[in-house]
Amino acid sequence: MKKLSSMPESPSAPPVQRNWWVYVVLILVCVVNFLPYLRVVMTGFMDGATSSSATPIWFFTPSLEAFDYLIFEKGIMKNFFNSVVVSLASTFFSVTIGMFCAYALARYDFPGRDDVSFWVLTNRMMPPVAVLIPIFVTFQTAGLLDTLLGLIILYTAMQLPFVVWMLTGYFRDIPRRYEESAMVDGDTWFAAFRKVTLPIMAPSITATAIFVMILSWNEFAFATFLTSNQAKTMPPAIMAYSIGADIKWNVLGAAVVLITAPLILFVLLLQRQLISGLSQGVVRK
Amino acid sequence: MADLQIENLAKAFKGGFTALNGVSLDVADREAVFLLGPSGAGKTTTLRLVAGLEDATAGRIMIGGRDVTRWTPRERNLAMVYDKHSLFPHLTIYENLAYPLRIRKMSDADIRRQIASVAETLQIEKLLERRPNQLSGGQQQRVAIGRALVRDADVFLLDEPISHLDAQLRARMRVEFKRLQRDFRATMLYVSHDQLEAMTMADRIVLINKGRIEQIAAPQELFDRPATLFAATFIGEPPMNVMQAVISESNGCRFLRIGEAYIEVDKDWMQDGEALRPGDKYLLGLRPQHLSLCPADSTHACRVNGTIFAVETLGSRVVFDIDVEGTVIRAMSTIDAALKYPRTIGAPISFRIDPDFVYLFDADRGRTVRQARFTTRGKARLHA
Repeated sequence: MKKLSSMPESPSAPPVQRNWWVYVVLILVCVVNFLPYLRVVMTGFMDGATSSSATPIWFFTPSLEAFDYLIFEKGIMKNFFNSVVVSLASTFFSVTIGMFCAYALARYDFPGRDDVSFWVLTNRMMPPVAVLIPIFVTFQTAGLLDTLLGLIILYTAMQLPFVVWMLTGYFRDIPRRYEESAMVDGDTWFAAFRKVTLPIMAPSITATAIFVMILSWNEFAFATFLTSNQAKTMPPAIMAYSIGADIKWNVLGAAVVLITAPLILFVLLLQRQLISGLSQGVVRK
Repeated sequence: MADLQIENLAKAFKGGFTALNGVSLDVADREAVFLLGPSGAGKTTTLRLVAGLEDATAGRIMIGGRDVTRWTPRERNLAMVYDKHSLFPHLTIYENLAYPLRIRKMSDADIRRQIASVAETLQIEKLLERRPNQLSGGQQQRVAIGRALVRDADVFLLDEPISHLDAQLRARMRVEFKRLQRDFRATMLYVSHDQLEAMTMADRIVLINKGRIEQIAAPQELFDRPATLFAATFIGEPPMNVMQAVISESNGCRFLRIGEAYIEVDKDWMQDGEALRPGDKYLLGLRPQHLSLCPADSTHACRVNGTIFAVETLGSRVVFDIDVEGTVIRAMSTIDAALKYPRTIGAPISFRIDPDFVYLFDADRGRTVRQARFTTRGKARLHA
C-alpha cells in the first residue's frame, strides 16, 4: 500500500485560459456595428454636393452647412425641445404609475391578478399602427392633435405595459421580508415602500426608465400622424426636413447626429446604473 | 417587556389551505418559548400572525393584556429577526440599527448612545460603517439581533434566526442567544425546526404539527413524557423505535412480545390509567438511548436477539440498527461498550430492554396511553 504523504494536497486551480480570439471577434463586431454610424456622422458634416455624389467620398473638408440649415433655417431645436419634454414627461408618468401597478401585481394576491398581468403583456403584442386611426379620431375629438400633452398621454399609455412588465419581475425578486421588517420596526406600509423597497429597486427603476425614454424619444409613427407644427418631435421632423423630392443626405446625417447625441451622452453617463439595473435579479440570489 | 397570549388562533389561506387550527399558547413575561415542528407545520404562520403580517381567520392575540388581533404591525411594538433578509442592503450597519429608532423620532445623540451600548454587547462596534453584504453570516445575524435589541420591544419574535449558519457557528450563537435573552430579560417566541436548538435554549417548547399543537412542555419533560406519538418520534435523535405492540398475559403477568422475546412489564403500569381494549391496536416505543447491547449468550430475561442491519458511527457514540424479525430497531451505545460487539452486517447481536423504559401509544389516535415507568418513578422520588 502506498504511504500517504503527511499533508493532503488539494488539486491546483486550472490554468486561466487566455482566449485572444474572443477579442478579435469582439473588435470585428464593434467595427461592423460602428461603421455605418460613422459614415452617417461623416455625411452630416459634408456639404450637399459631396454627400450626394455617386461614388462615396472618404476625405473631404468638413462643413456645417447641414447643421446650419436644420438649426437656423428649419428651427429643429424647437422639435428637439418638444422631444425632450415629451420623452421626459412620459417617462416620468409611465414609470411612476407603472411602479405602483407592478408593486401591486408582485405583492398582492387578488382575484384576476394573473389575467391582469397577461393582459398588460398582450398590449404590447398588437402593432401600434393598428390603432392609429382610432387614436387619431380620438385625439381630434379631444382636441389633442398637435399638442405636447396629447403625445405625453399617448406615450405614457404606450410605455406603461412595458414598465409594469419589467418592474413586476424586479419587485418579485426583492424579498418581502425587507418591507415586513420595516413594518414590524414601526413603519407604515408606504414608509416601508419609500425607505426600503424603492432604494433597493433604484437601479432597476433607472434602467427601465432609460429604456422607456429611448423608446419615447425615437417614436416615429404616432408622432408623424398626430403632430403637424407645434408639437412635432425629432423623428418626424428629420423625415420632413431631409426627405422631400430628393433625399438630402447631409441633412439626414446631421439630424441623426442631433437625435442620437443626447442619447449617447445619457447612456454613457448612466452606463453603470443601466447594467447593474438590468442584471439585478439575474446575478443576485 | 410583556407577556403574550394566543387563544384559539386559526389561519386559512386562499384556496382553503388551513395553516393553523385552534392554536392556544402563552408566553410568560421574560420566558423563552420555542415553536418546534417539521416544515409546513404552521410555526412561521403563527409568528407572522403574532407580528401582524397576516390576518387571523379566528382567535385572539393578547400582548401585555391588550387584545392586538386587529392591530397593524407597527402598533404592536414587537421585534422580529429572520433567518436572512433582516438587514436592509442599501444601508450601513449603523443605519440599519438606527432604523427603528429614527422611526420613533429619537434624537441623534440618543441613537448614537443606544447603538453604542448594543454594539458593545454584541461585539459589532467595528462593523458599524460597513454594509450588510460585507459581513459574514454570523456577523449579519448578530446585527439583526442588535436591531431587535436597540429598542424596547414587548416581545421578540425569532424565525429560525440561526438555522442557515454552519454547525459550529450555530452552536456558539445558541449559547449567545440564551445569554442575551437572560441579560435583556426578553420575552421571546422562537421558531425552529431544529430540536437541538429548542432543547438547549427553550424554557418551554410548543410542539406543532399540521397546524395543531401536539404538546407544550419543558424540554426534558417533552423528551421524557411525550403526550403523543408524534412528540415521541419527533423529539430525540436518533428517533424513537416504534413497533406494533403485542401484549399477552399468562399467570397474571403481562408480557410484550418483541421478536422471540417476551418482556415482562409491570402489572400496575399496565392497569393504571386508561384501560387498554383488546380490540385496539397499540404501538410500543423504545428510545435507542434506553436499549443496551448484551452478549448473545447472556441469560437476561428481557433479551432480544437480532442481526446487524447497519452500523452508524457518530464519533462518541455508535448506533446499531438491528434487524429483529423484519423490524429494524436502533440501539445506541457508547463507543467503549460498542467495542465488544461485532460490526459486520448480518452478524447476530442482542440487546436488553428495561421494561421501565417502554412507552405505549394508541395507534389510531396517536396518543400516549402509557408513559415509560421510569418517569413516574422519578416523580415519586422527587415528591418523597
